[in-house]
Amino acid sequence: MSDRLTSKQMSKKITDEYMDEAFHAHEKGKLIGYSTAISPVELFVAHDIIPIYPENHSVANLTAKKGAELCSVVESMGYTNHLCAYARSDLAYRKTGITVTKGIPEPDLFLACNAQCFTLTKWFQVLARKGNLPVFVFDTPEYVMGRKTREEIVKYCVLQLKELIGFLEEVTKRKFDYDRLKEVMKYSAESSILYRKFLDMAQYKPSPISIFDALIGMAIAVYRRGTQECVDYYQTLCDEIQAKVDQGIGVLPKEKEKYRLYWENLPVWFKFSDHAKLLGSYGSVILTSLYVHAWSFEFDLDKDPLVTLAENYVSRFSNSTIEDRADMATELFKKYSMNGMIMFMNRSCKAVSFAVPTLKEILTKRTGIPALVFESDMGDQRFYSETQIRTRIEAYFETLDRLQV
Amino acid sequence: MWDNLTIKEAVEHAKDPYPSIRKWMKDKDKKIIGSTFADVPEEVIYAFGFLPVTIMGTNKPLKKAPSHLPDNACSLARSNLELVLSYEGDLFDGFVLPQVCDTTQHLSDIWRISFPDKYVESYLAPRQADRPSARYWVKEEIERVISSLSDWSGKKIVEKDLWEAIEIHNQNKALLKEIYEIKKNNPAALTNKELFALMKLSQQVDKAELNQSLKKIKDSLQSGNSNGYTDVILVGITCDPPEIYDLFDEVKLNVVGDTLLVGTRYVQGVVPEKGNPIDALTDRHFKRGFFSPIHDNVFKNFEEVKTLYKETNAKAVIYVHIEFCESQEYDLPDLKRMIKNEGILMHTLDTEYQTLSLSHVRTRLQAFFESLKGGSL
Repeated sequence: MSDRLTSKQMSKKITDEYMDEAFHAHEKGKLIGYSTAISPVELFVAHDIIPIYPENHSVANLTAKKGAELCSVVESMGYTNHLCAYARSDLAYRKTGITVTKGIPEPDLFLACNAQCFTLTKWFQVLARKGNLPVFVFDTPEYVMGRKTREEIVKYCVLQLKELIGFLEEVTKRKFDYDRLKEVMKYSAESSILYRKFLDMAQYKPSPISIFDALIGMAIAVYRRGTQECVDYYQTLCDEIQAKVDQGIGVLPKEKEKYRLYWENLPVWFKFSDHAKLLGSYGSVILTSLYVHAWSFEFDLDKDPLVTLAENYVSRFSNSTIEDRADMATELFKKYSMNGMIMFMNRSCKAVSFAVPTLKEILTKRTGIPALVFESDMGDQRFYSETQIRTRIEAYFETLDRLQV
Repeated sequence: MWDNLTIKEAVEHAKDPYPSIRKWMKDKDKKIIGSTFADVPEEVIYAFGFLPVTIMGTNKPLKKAPSHLPDNACSLARSNLELVLSYEGDLFDGFVLPQVCDTTQHLSDIWRISFPDKYVESYLAPRQADRPSARYWVKEEIERVISSLSDWSGKKIVEKDLWEAIEIHNQNKALLKEIYEIKKNNPAALTNKELFALMKLSQQVDKAELNQSLKKIKDSLQSGNSNGYTDVILVGITCDPPEIYDLFDEVKLNVVGDTLLVGTRYVQGVVPEKGNPIDALTDRHFKRGFFSPIHDNVFKNFEEVKTLYKETNAKAVIYVHIEFCESQEYDLPDLKRMIKNEGILMHTLDTEYQTLSLSHVRTRLQAFFESLKGGSL
C-alpha cells in the first residue's frame, strides 16, 4: 500500500480489491462466508474464507434511498414491514437484483453471532434455507453483571469457537492454522487501537470529525479487520485527522461549535448528509455513539487468541446490559465533553432500540442533559416524517439554547 | 386451594390465576417466583419450596409498558411487563427470566431496573441446540440458577428435593397428556378452551395440588356425541386471548395436536427420572419440540407439523402468529410455503395480547372453516 494514497483513496482501493477477490473466490479455490458485522471474523480470515457482510450491501442500498422500493417488494413475499430494514432490503435484492452496487457474491456458509442481534440469525436462516447451506451460530449470552458468571460465559464462548474451527475445517476440508490466527489477531489488535484513536479524536475542540466521518471511517474496520491493509488504512486516517487537529480545523469552526452531541442507535442512512447539514446549521456536531465504538476492540495478544476473541465479542455494547450500556455512554459523555443527545428509536432495529427508553431515562438523569427522542426507520423512508422530525429538532435546540442562557 | 377444582373452576382460575395465588401465598407463607416463556427449569424453583409461576400476559389495559417497550415490540412481552408494573408486581418475591430473543434480553434488563428491591435473575438459555456446547451451557445455567436462588434465599437444596419436584412436575405432564388423549378421541368430553386452560393453569399454580384436581377431572370426563367435529393442529408459541378457543369450539374444531408452549411443548418437558437430577433436567431441555427463537431448522418444524398432521389425521393446520414476534415472522413465509406444497390446508391467526375484539379473527376463521367444509369434509 503506497504511503502517498489518501485514506479515501486507500479505502476505495481496499474495497475494490476485496470485492474483486470475493467475486472470483471460487476460481481461486476460496469460499465465501456470510458474516454478521460483529462476529469473530478473524477465524474466517485466518482460514482464508472471504467474509461478506450482507449488512454492508444493505447500507449502500438504503443510503441511496432504495429502502422503500426494496422493502415493498419483500412485503409481497410475506414478510412484515417491521423486520430489520437490512434484512428486508437484502431479501428483496435476492428476488429482484436491484442494487446500487455490483451486488455481492452468493454465500457458501454462514456465521451468525448474536452479540449483535438475534434478527441476523433468523435472516441468515432464511438465506441458508434457499441453498441448504450450513449456518454456524456463535451464541453469546448477554454479558450479565458478575465476575463469575462472565467467566462462565467466556468459557462457553471459547468452547463454541473451538466448535467453529471444527466446522470450518469440515466445510473446507483443510486444517486450521493457529499460527496464522495469531498473525491475524495481531493485525486486528493494531487496527482496533488505531480505529479507537480515530474515533477519540472527536474529543478535540473543535472536533475534527463528526459521527458521519466515523460511520464512513468504520467501514474498513468492519470488513477488513485482521489484515495489514486495515492497519495501514487507520494509520493514514489518524495521521490525516491529526493534521487537521494541528491546524485547528474542525467540522465547524471553533467559534460556531456550540453543541457537541451524542447519538444513540444506528444512523438514518437515507438522511445521512441531510442530518449532518441540518444539525450543523444549529451549531451542533454529533460526535459519537456506542454503535461506532462496537469495532474498537481491545484484544490482548498475551492471552489465548480464542479467549481474547470470546471476551471481546461477548462484551460489545449490543450484548451488554442496559446498565452497562449506560456506563459506556456516560464515559463517552465525559470523554468527549458532550452537551446534548439524540436518541433514535429505530423501528427496524429492535436489538438496539428496545433499550433506548430506559437508557434515555438513565442518561438524562445522570448528565442533566435533555434528550431529543424521535422514531423512524434506519432504511425505510416510509417511516420518516420530515416535518415532524424537523420540528422536533428545532424545538430541541430551542431548549438547549434556553438552558445555556 | 387448587386440589379440588371442577373443570369449570379451573377455567375461571386460568383466566385470572392471581387472586388465588395471592390467597395461597398467604395461607402457605410461601415465596412466589415469576418467569416468562420459555424453558426456565421450574422444578428447580419448586425444589426450593417456592412457587414457580409462568407469567402469560394480562388482558387489563396497557398503562406503563409502552413507555418502556414501543408498539412494535412483541405484544406478549409488553403484556407481561404491564402485568408486573401495574397489576401484580407486589405478588412476586422474585423472578427468573429467560432470554431467548432480542426482546426478552431487553425485557429482563428493564425488569431488573424496574424492580431494584426484588430478586431478578436471568436464565441465559442457549440459542443454538445442535452442538455439544449447548448441553454444557444448559447444565451450567441450571447450576448457576440453583446457586443464585440459594444465595438469595439462604436455603440449600439436595438431590432429593430436586427429585421430588421433578416427580410432581412429571406427574402433572402425564395427567395433562392423558386428558389430551381423551379429548383427541372424544372431542365432546371437554372443550378446547377447557383443555388449554388446564395446560395454562398447570404452569401457574402449585402442581402437587392441581394434580389432585386433574386426576378427578380426568376420571369425570365422559364421552359425548363426537359427530361433526373437524380435527385441526395448532402451530405456534402461544394462543391468546383464551376466547379464541371459544371460536374454535363454536365451529366444532377439535385441536388434536399442537406445538404450543402452552400445550404440547410443555407436556414434552418430562424429565427422565434416572441418574443425576441436574443431568436429567439438562437432557430434558433438548427433548422439547421446535421453538422459533432458538436457532434450529424450519424444515424440522415443518417435519414436526407434517408428522403431527398425518398421525392425527387432522384436516388442517392453524398457525397462531403473535403480533410483532420477529422470530415467527422470519419463519412463517417459508413454513407456509412448505405446508402448502404438501397439500395441507393452513390458516394463519394473527393474535395480539390485550386484544378486546375478536371480530376479525372470527370472520376469518369462519371463512376458513367454510372452505374447509367445502373442501375436505
